[in-house]
Amino acid sequence: MKAYQRGSIPGVYLKELIAAVAIAWFVFGTISCRVTATTGDFYGSTIPPKQNILRYVNGDEPGSLDPPISTGQPEARIYMALYQGLIDYDPRTLQAIPALAERWEINNDSSEFVFHLRHNAVWSNRDPITAHDFVYSVRRGVSPALASQNSYLAFYINYAEAYFRKAVFAKDSKTNQFVLEKDVADTAPAAGSAANESTTTDIGSEYESGVVGPESLQGPDVKATGGPDTAFHQLMHSPARLTLPGDEAARNELLAKTPKLQAVLAGTQFVPVSAEDVGVEAIDDYTVRISLSQPAPYFLGLLGHQLFRLAPRSIVEKYGDQWTQPEHIVTCGPFKMKAWIPYSELVVERDPLYWDAANVHLDEIHFFVSQDNPTSLNLYKVGEADAVLNHAVPNAWLQVIRPKKDYMDGAEASIAFININVTKPPMNDIRVRRAFNMAIDKVSYATSRLVTKPLTAFTPEGIFVGYPQPKGDSFDPEQARKLLGEAGFPVTKQGNGFQCKGFPVGEVEYIFNTNSSNRAMAEYMQAQWKQNLGITVPLRSMEFKTFLPLRNKLEFKGFAVGLWSADYMDPFTFLGLFSTPDGSNGSGWFDPKYVAMLNEANLTLNPQKRYELLAKAEKYMLDNQPVIPIETFAVNWLKKPYVKGMYPNAASLYPWKFVYIERDSSKWDYGVPSLSDK
Amino acid sequence: MSVLLTDKLAQIREDRHDLPVLQNMLRFIIRRLLITIPTILVVITITWGLIRLAPGNFYISEKAIPPAIEKNIRLKYGLDKPWYDQYGHTIWNIVRHFDFGTSLKYEGQSVNSIIARSLPVSATVGILAYLLALIVGIIAGSIAALKPNSKRDYASMALAMLGISIPNFVLGPILILIFSLTLYWFPPSRWNGFPSRNVVLPVLTLSGLYMAYIARLTRAGMLEVLRSDYIRTARAKGLSEMQVVIRHALRGGLMPVVSYTGPALAFLVTGTVVVERIFVLPGLGSYFIQASLNRDEPLILGIVAFVAITLLMMNLLVDVAYAYLDPRIRY
Repeated sequence: MKAYQRGSIPGVYLKELIAAVAIAWFVFGTISCRVTATTGDFYGSTIPPKQNILRYVNGDEPGSLDPPISTGQPEARIYMALYQGLIDYDPRTLQAIPALAERWEINNDSSEFVFHLRHNAVWSNRDPITAHDFVYSVRRGVSPALASQNSYLAFYINYAEAYFRKAVFAKDSKTNQFVLEKDVADTAPAAGSAANESTTTDIGSEYESGVVGPESLQGPDVKATGGPDTAFHQLMHSPARLTLPGDEAARNELLAKTPKLQAVLAGTQFVPVSAEDVGVEAIDDYTVRISLSQPAPYFLGLLGHQLFRLAPRSIVEKYGDQWTQPEHIVTCGPFKMKAWIPYSELVVERDPLYWDAANVHLDEIHFFVSQDNPTSLNLYKVGEADAVLNHAVPNAWLQVIRPKKDYMDGAEASIAFININVTKPPMNDIRVRRAFNMAIDKVSYATSRLVTKPLTAFTPEGIFVGYPQPKGDSFDPEQARKLLGEAGFPVTKQGNGFQCKGFPVGEVEYIFNTNSSNRAMAEYMQAQWKQNLGITVPLRSMEFKTFLPLRNKLEFKGFAVGLWSADYMDPFTFLGLFSTPDGSNGSGWFDPKYVAMLNEANLTLNPQKRYELLAKAEKYMLDNQPVIPIETFAVNWLKKPYVKGMYPNAASLYPWKFVYIERDSSKWDYGVPSLSDK
Repeated sequence: MSVLLTDKLAQIREDRHDLPVLQNMLRFIIRRLLITIPTILVVITITWGLIRLAPGNFYISEKAIPPAIEKNIRLKYGLDKPWYDQYGHTIWNIVRHFDFGTSLKYEGQSVNSIIARSLPVSATVGILAYLLALIVGIIAGSIAALKPNSKRDYASMALAMLGISIPNFVLGPILILIFSLTLYWFPPSRWNGFPSRNVVLPVLTLSGLYMAYIARLTRAGMLEVLRSDYIRTARAKGLSEMQVVIRHALRGGLMPVVSYTGPALAFLVTGTVVVERIFVLPGLGSYFIQASLNRDEPLILGIVAFVAITLLMMNLLVDVAYAYLDPRIRY
């Protein structure tokens, strides 16, 4: 009522209006000023920190500081500061470089490794680090009680998997002789041809995942490494013992199925496989010998993994799962724990007791928690952080950030692909699978993603030097429609597009876990299939932990997005995915012939010949099209130009002791530092 | 809820007005506290059930693990036992020792210790935001109510409307853009204890909505009270306007604010997911959302139970505060 009496409103609010415009002008004026200020060479501030400290945005809050436990990248980076293994990674190439081990010998088929430890390495509580610490750490890493999710990486080691599975040996009560695998191998054929297959599969799936081949494969040309021939060493090189399920019910079921096996085992007693049976041996206080159950040329590179980094026995046994708490923790890496403010930051400081402390440049590293990419980049921009984790730059920001000289770009050992559930029609038809693959223009897709590279194979593009990577089918919509027609789903022309009336769209869908890049990928694929095949595949997005069991248990129909990154720098880390019917095999495709091809390659001593055989196996897999390869990722992060010694390597692993703060701006990195020159 | 209870208790009071007032109040508080226990157990049970119904589990990750490893993990955490065993075990530990167990993701850290260290962070930001919202909101609302339909009334109510309409996930980034990325006055995120410059932006972001809401509630309450008879009486007695407003009008005018801010304080103190996430604060809200995504059952249960208890306590406080503010209400 009153307002009407007050006369014209614009007149009344003129002053306020002027004030509002002034404020708006001030605010946006300053914003635009700042934007011009940051269109320089670098993204945001480039003032180095006053002390020799690296402030690194590390992503999620670390779960556990116990090296074998966590599987995440944020933890892996912290482990690399706090703990050391026998080897470490070269900061550029990720090849093995000496760490705890000064030098090593490998036998010619890569099934036995001897490491000579340096004598001057100590724990942060001054206890010397010896070979026994390593043996303890490996045994602990594969112990069933610890139940480490990483333990599978150690299953190459003799009897490690049997120990983890709580398996038992069978021992003859009278002769005290163990029943050997070859004894059972004799019984298998006698059980009949059909039973033969089921017996070996049963034993195979129960005791050995596909990564572990049959034991005692070493031929006569294999030479052992140096070192004394101890009783343990002889045991490791004698024919493999038979292992059976430790669980009585499972064992009896197996025996009931194979009467011959039962006959062999008559009069035997069962002895649990113990930690002492695992193929790691301390020859003396400073020499370690590792015996594998099969040749694994990539095993050396695996030893830098957190599963093989050392945990302090006395502390672990004293404090149990509390040993990593700041008041108890004892470490062995170049840095030791200084402070831990959960969900905020973890601060490590240089350990003066570290054997190479003179060459550790940083005084402290602050690992910041931040789960949000914009938040991480804000911290970086204002100069509160010196480097951010890989993949922190959102796609939408690339236009601005990519031209900057502090943007880190490079090939990454990880790929995106689409799993096809090959167990359900219509995708059980190889022609249908190939059609869906050929109907996707991956080159355009990668172009739209700005930083990734199109991929037709299953190993990442440009990572493994000398690997003759095979090529899968390329984009060919014409051929795709033809294949679909051959499979009984003719594609007809309709207006400007196509239609495929007979295709059971209700039997397929595309599932993915919700995030913007997965959604963009799904929508692109949907559009491609619609455009080139006339088939509209429904999309279904879900939360990550909802998505995973659906994919892993093959409870989806059609397509499920897949990502994979290397555990170690060898093509086998990708190709091994389909060497087991379970685990990370998200398509249900399992072919014994493929497994045999992989085994043949891994048994080959000549590295180049091995690569060729692996490539042949990869080609075989691609021809069966259990997946649709999409793209090789690229690393995508930022570091200030004054942060030196940190490289955009293929696995985004940074051995921290090489990192330093350069105050002389003429020595700064302008652009991506080279991964090859020394 | 509190209004209904008040009515009910008014009834009881009329029936037995021979009992002393304080005793009635005590009886009321004890009864409410006793109701809390079964309520919390129901809340925990429902939460437990929901976690179990949700697909996925704490150990599943991008790299699927072989069945043998999964088997050992389930054994290690007792997931191989029947569900009623696991449920009984969980409830028993909570009832018996108020022990929620150890976080599944943050190995070796007990749920109680995580709550104990994250609560102060949430509470600091929450209480500061609450105080700021109360002070600014009540002052703005009172000013507006004293001269309804004036320029300053419109100005403050327009601002309040803006505050209510802008969600904090928009307000937070805008504040960061202006005060951090542009003016470089405050850090864009991270916690640095209290007091520090890091506190400013989260508190502002968090208080925006509450400030606006309180301003509007105060204005509405005050407008009504200022028209009432006892204010006229106060004025007739010759009290100054200041005394009328502060001694008489505010007390009545704040009734709606009180019933709103009680639960609001509970929410503010126990952490706000969005603000803690934007500013990377190590508070309860951050842990809660992360625990849910991680399927970290003990941590989820612990935080839910804690928030529920706080909420119930705040509601109780509101009812008690009512009695203090309105002399007509007795328990």
